[in-house]
Amino acid sequence: MSELAHDTAVSDHGEHESTGIENRKLGMWVFLSSEFLFFGALITNYLLYSNRGGFEGVYPSEIYDIPFTSVSSFVLLMSSLTMVLAHNAQSRHDQNGARTWLFATASLGAVFLGGQVFEFTEFIVIYDMTLSTNPAASAFFVLTGFHGAHVAIGVIMLLSLWGMSRRRGGLSDRQGLNLELVGLYWHFVDIIWIVIFTVVYLLSAPPT
Amino acid sequence: MSTEHTTDHPTPSQYWKIAVVLAVLTAIEVSLFYINRELELGPLNAVLLISLALLKFVIVVGWYMHLRFEKSLLSRFFTAGFLLASGCYLVVLSALGIVVIRGG
Repeated sequence: MSELAHDTAVSDHGEHESTGIENRKLGMWVFLSSEFLFFGALITNYLLYSNRGGFEGVYPSEIYDIPFTSVSSFVLLMSSLTMVLAHNAQSRHDQNGARTWLFATASLGAVFLGGQVFEFTEFIVIYDMTLSTNPAASAFFVLTGFHGAHVAIGVIMLLSLWGMSRRRGGLSDRQGLNLELVGLYWHFVDIIWIVIFTVVYLLSAPPT
Repeated sequence: MSTEHTTDHPTPSQYWKIAVVLAVLTAIEVSLFYINRELELGPLNAVLLISLALLKFVIVVGWYMHLRFEKSLLSRFFTAGFLLASGCYLVVLSALGIVVIRGG
């Protein structure tokens, strides 16, 4: 009984004693791990329909703007750098540095989202490819749209942390853990884009 | 900040160096896309692009997400989720003929 109590006890600073890992951090890693199944389903759905011939309308692979998407990918990749620099500054209790890098990360995320809005608008207005044009277009919009929604949630969380830090003159140790968790989420969104950029854009094949 | 780290994290200058590596890998990926258009590399193009993407993936997870400095339990959780999802959907794509696995 006492052994069970020891196994499930939580120490004062929030660590689960049986794992030695902070509960919220463990929860975030498990959540991110489960997100692979979510995005895996959407990527699989896209691969099933992306170059299957016989549908009417424009296929996404026919109208990709690779130079534009490459720049967007670079922007998101660099936002991972600014995120990890924010985390590093916070761990050194450099509150100004953490705030600056947090804002830079949110800004780069917003630039990426702006690029996605521009791409979607271009596809819809110029090429007349909408969510209901054909299954390939539908799979493309759902996959990249859900990724964009994840980025938008990340930007909101980053701006919340930035605002909190500005208002209170810095983040406490507990809020510092929040920064680390938001950072994990942000890097995850980045690695999902690494996969999407390769599988959806660079390996795109014309319909057969 | 956290007590569960097993070793020290990289320094800011190391993070910048990692970012340069990631940028170069991305440039190689985009170059390969255009080289493939001209030379039609066939399956080699897919192998190279997927390898580069996996390399970028591992670098971000290992160094930026600090997984290589964390307790092995987190690595096991994360790797299990990735392998489960990859395996599950590879089976689906193979069964539907989207991904062809060639055997001897």
